[in-house]
Amino acid sequence: MLADTLSKAMAELEEEQVLEQVKERLGGGVAPLAIVKTLQEGMVEVGNRFQSGEYFLSELIMAGEIMKGAMDILEPHLSGESGEHKGTIVIGTVKGDIHDLGKNIVIMLLKGSGYNVIDLGVDVPKEKFVEALQETKAPLVGMSVLLTSCQEAMKETIEAIRGAGLDTRVIIGGNYIDETVKNHVGADYYATSATDGVKVAAEVFGA
Amino acid sequence: MSKAEKLYQERLQRYTTAMECGKPDKVPITFPLGEWVVKYTDTTIQEAYYNFDRTTEITCEIIRDLDFDLMYSALNLWWPPMFNAIGSKLYKFPGIHLEENSQYQYIEEENMKPEDYDEFIDNPTEWLANKFLPRINEEFANPGSYRATAALIKSVAAFAMANDKSAKASEKLAKEFGVVPYGTGMTKAPFDTLGDALRGMKGILLDLRRRPEKILAACEAIIPHNIAYAMITAAGDTTLPCFAPLHRGAYPFLSMEQWEKYYWPSLKAVIEGLWARGKRMFFFAEGNWTPYLEKIAELPDKSIVFVIDATDAKKTKEVLGGRFCLYGGVPTTLLTYGTPEEVKDCVKRVIDELACDGGFVLAPGGVVMSDAKRENIFAMIEAGREYGVY
Repeated sequence: MLADTLSKAMAELEEEQVLEQVKERLGGGVAPLAIVKTLQEGMVEVGNRFQSGEYFLSELIMAGEIMKGAMDILEPHLSGESGEHKGTIVIGTVKGDIHDLGKNIVIMLLKGSGYNVIDLGVDVPKEKFVEALQETKAPLVGMSVLLTSCQEAMKETIEAIRGAGLDTRVIIGGNYIDETVKNHVGADYYATSATDGVKVAAEVFGA
Repeated sequence: MSKAEKLYQERLQRYTTAMECGKPDKVPITFPLGEWVVKYTDTTIQEAYYNFDRTTEITCEIIRDLDFDLMYSALNLWWPPMFNAIGSKLYKFPGIHLEENSQYQYIEEENMKPEDYDEFIDNPTEWLANKFLPRINEEFANPGSYRATAALIKSVAAFAMANDKSAKASEKLAKEFGVVPYGTGMTKAPFDTLGDALRGMKGILLDLRRRPEKILAACEAIIPHNIAYAMITAAGDTTLPCFAPLHRGAYPFLSMEQWEKYYWPSLKAVIEGLWARGKRMFFFAEGNWTPYLEKIAELPDKSIVFVIDATDAKKTKEVLGGRFCLYGGVPTTLLTYGTPEEVKDCVKRVIDELACDGGFVLAPGGVVMSDAKRENIFAMIEAGREYGVY
């Protein structure tokens, strides 16, 4: 169980309490990064509760909103501090598909678990994926897809990544995805729920 | 009576008997029209959406030699010109925003803000006309302006053309091929009306925690609106059921508690309101509805046609069978990734499991994907006739 009152308020989705405590701690001289870390512990608990079936989608979205509110307060104080993170992950919805809800939830949980996430947005062409991976040297790339007709776009993107000589691990995520789709497009991992994505990241980064 | 007219009467009888939970001579079978048809023609999806006459042509071509009872859906359900004419921001269409062989896509935004709730609850129709329409249509941003008036007239004219073309296409399919439409009219669950194009998924999920009482009041205000909408769009018909695409009620978008409190009561009220007028709902339960079957069983007998997509079919039969017509059973994924042999086996299993004592229509459980294979759809229809004789 969470000992810190701020982590606990985050896990319980007590929006006002979270924002109040963040301001209080900042005013009391607590390092902003330490506050972020405490919030992340609450966020990890939100993910656990979602996985166990105690929390549903509305709780995940609410947690994201509260985190965003807290980060709005914290961000101006964070500049200059070296942002420690477990590693960089590039993520985007593949070309032809404009769905972003699932992608955004995964990003929220990954950030909550301490990763640096580069969000390429939706309808992302393969060139953009390759470019981002060359630039960031991220060891893991996530591709989100909802439309089955965009499967070929996913396959082509993965081929382009391999063609560029990158050995980035690839995880694909989406409602209809399974082992067959994973093998068809040539991905390394697949996920059908946001918490699966976090588990794969932990495996890849050994975190 | 022509051969096709006779077929039409036979098939309608088959469907009506199934909806009344009776045992017809054969299991009624649905042909699922959709974007998948287009790749077997020299037409693009863009053309299939925009050119109504061409759509009717390719529909007739593909069904020519098939023996089925009902046709589900249409290729130009949302005829793009009526949206293009008013500059709708709700959809992206192939050839304009997407490449010419893409399906159209829906853009979900928070078109109704939290502060709009009270005005909406007070008079939903007035709010929709005065606030919503200008927000979702670029050409109608300034109601009363010359530009907005011209756009509105063009869009309404296109809407009337679409209705006319669609009625004529149905008539052609009935007269020449004896095809019965699966339903007439359209409506929604009030929670979906609020959660789809008004508040959006994110908006309504946050409202569940931040302003739950507003959701309840808004859903209450939408009930009469959605009953009227169903009857108007069905032009008063009560022979066939009214389409209701159900979205946020699928598991696990909402917890059991949220579903029972926020999703179900107002949907139930719409169903009961329609049933009091003799109109059935085509309960299009996309996704998985297994946890809610017992609650759905509270509805008046025969008041819905329950569509089985990813809901547990055995459990559905146990809980709803005999009291409501069950529809579906063939997974849409199988129609895309399976082989005709697998589809045939599936149809046999589904008929054994669900059709035994009547009250069943064989069909895909959801919207068939655009990459579905023709041979699989044909195999479903053929196997349905082979195994589906009572």
